[in-house]
Amino acid sequence: MIYLDSAATTLQKPASVAYAVAEAMRTMSSPGRGGYESAMLAADTVLDCRTALADMFCVKRPEQVVFTSSATHGLNIAIRSLIGPGDRVVISGYEHNAVWRPLWGLGADIRVAASPLFRPEEAIRAFRERLPGAKAAVCTQVSNVFGYILPVEEIAALCRREGVPLIVDASQGAGAVGLDFDGLGCAWAAMPGHKGLLGPQGTGVLLCREPGEPLLRGGTGSMSAEPDMPDVLPDRLEAGTHNVPGIAGLLAGVRWLERETCPAVLAHERELLEAFSNALPRDGRVRQFRAPDKDIQTGVLSVQIGDMDCEEAAARLGEKGVAVRAGLHCAPLAHKTAGTLERGTVRFSFSPFNTYREAVAAAEAVKDILG
Amino acid sequence: MHYLLTFRSLTYAQRAARILERAGVTAAVSRVPKAASTRGCAYCVTVPARYREKAMALLAGADLKPERVLLRHPDGTLEAAV
Repeated sequence: MIYLDSAATTLQKPASVAYAVAEAMRTMSSPGRGGYESAMLAADTVLDCRTALADMFCVKRPEQVVFTSSATHGLNIAIRSLIGPGDRVVISGYEHNAVWRPLWGLGADIRVAASPLFRPEEAIRAFRERLPGAKAAVCTQVSNVFGYILPVEEIAALCRREGVPLIVDASQGAGAVGLDFDGLGCAWAAMPGHKGLLGPQGTGVLLCREPGEPLLRGGTGSMSAEPDMPDVLPDRLEAGTHNVPGIAGLLAGVRWLERETCPAVLAHERELLEAFSNALPRDGRVRQFRAPDKDIQTGVLSVQIGDMDCEEAAARLGEKGVAVRAGLHCAPLAHKTAGTLERGTVRFSFSPFNTYREAVAAAEAVKDILG
Repeated sequence: MHYLLTFRSLTYAQRAARILERAGVTAAVSRVPKAASTRGCAYCVTVPARYREKAMALLAGADLKPERVLLRHPDGTLEAAV
C-alpha cells in the first residue's frame, strides 16, 4: 500500500515510537499518583515530553504544555475558555469542524474571514476588516484540505494590535511548519500528536497562555482536598489518568523530529508533492489545487479527477493500493471558501516516510483510473 | 536535616528538582507527608539543609516559588520554616 493520508494520521512512524509505547506499557504507571519508581518514571517521561514540545514551539514554560486526547479536545478547551454564547468570533475561511462545530454549539456569533485560496494578502485583509470588536479569533495554520499555509504571523500581529486573543489550530503544521507560540503572542495553540508529530493516536497537545477553563473535572493528583480544579497549569486542564504510553510514543516522535528537523521534513514532503503533481496528466482531466508560490503550501495536494465522484475515485485508488482521503475532509467551510463544496476533492498528503517512487506510482494510479 | 519545598503541581516539583540537580544541589521529588499537606495530595522537593539558600535563589531565578518550606528534623518531625 502507498499511504498518502498523513493529513488524517501518519501511519508510518519512526520505529522508536512503537518501542517507546511498549516500554511505557511495561514499566510506567501513572504520574502524580504515587512516589514509587514506576510512577516517577512515568512522571519524568511526561515532563520530558512537555519540555521537548515547549522547546519545539517556543513556549516559555513546560507547564504551559497540556496533554489532550486530540487537537479537537484542545480546541474545545481553548474555545470554551475564551468564548461564550453570542460572542463575536472571527475565523478563517479554512477552519475544520473541530473549530466550527464547537463555536456553533456555543451559539457564538461566527464571522468568517473568507478569502480566496492561496491568497495570503486577502486573508490578512479579511481578518483586518472583521477583528475590531471581536471577542476572539481562530485561525488554522495550514488548511487540512489544501495544504495552504495561512499567514498566521500577520494575523497574530493584527490580533495583538486589536487586543483580540487568538487561537491557532496547528493540526496540520505541527512537525513541518514552525510555530513560535511566544513570538506570535497567541492565547492558545492546539495540535494532534498523531499527525506530523508522529506520535500515536489518542494524543494531543494544547499550548496555553493562561490556565483557562477545564473541559473535564476530576482527579489530578494535586490539591485533592479542594472541590475545584487546581488553578495552575497543567493540572487544571488534565483531569484523569494520563495516556502515558501515548505520551511516551509522542516523545519518541518529537525526538525523531529534533534529529531530522522540521524544515527538512517539510522540504521532503514538498519535493514529493512536486514529483506527484508533475507526473499527473497535463491534459486538463485532473484539476490540481496547487499554490503558485510553493512556500505557502505543505505536502498536501487536493485534486479533482475528471468527472469522477471524489469518493469513487478514492475507492478506485484504494483498489490499486493508494490510500487517500476524499470528500469534505471534515472541513466544509474550507471547501465552501475554495468553491469545492459540491464536488469535494481527493486529497493526497505526504509524510516523511513516503518516497519519490511512491509519489510517481500514485500519479500512475490516477492515470489508470482515468483510463 | 533537610528542607521540604512543597509545590502545587508535580510538574513544578519536577522542574524544580531538575534545576537544582543541574546546579549541583541534591534534590529528590517525593509525596508531601499527609500531616503536612494542607490541601490534599502534593509533591515536594527534598534538599539538604545546607543548600537551602542556594536552592531558594536558584528557584527564584527560575520563577518557581515553593508553596511552603518545611524543615524536617532528624526525628522526622516537620516544622514550617520562615
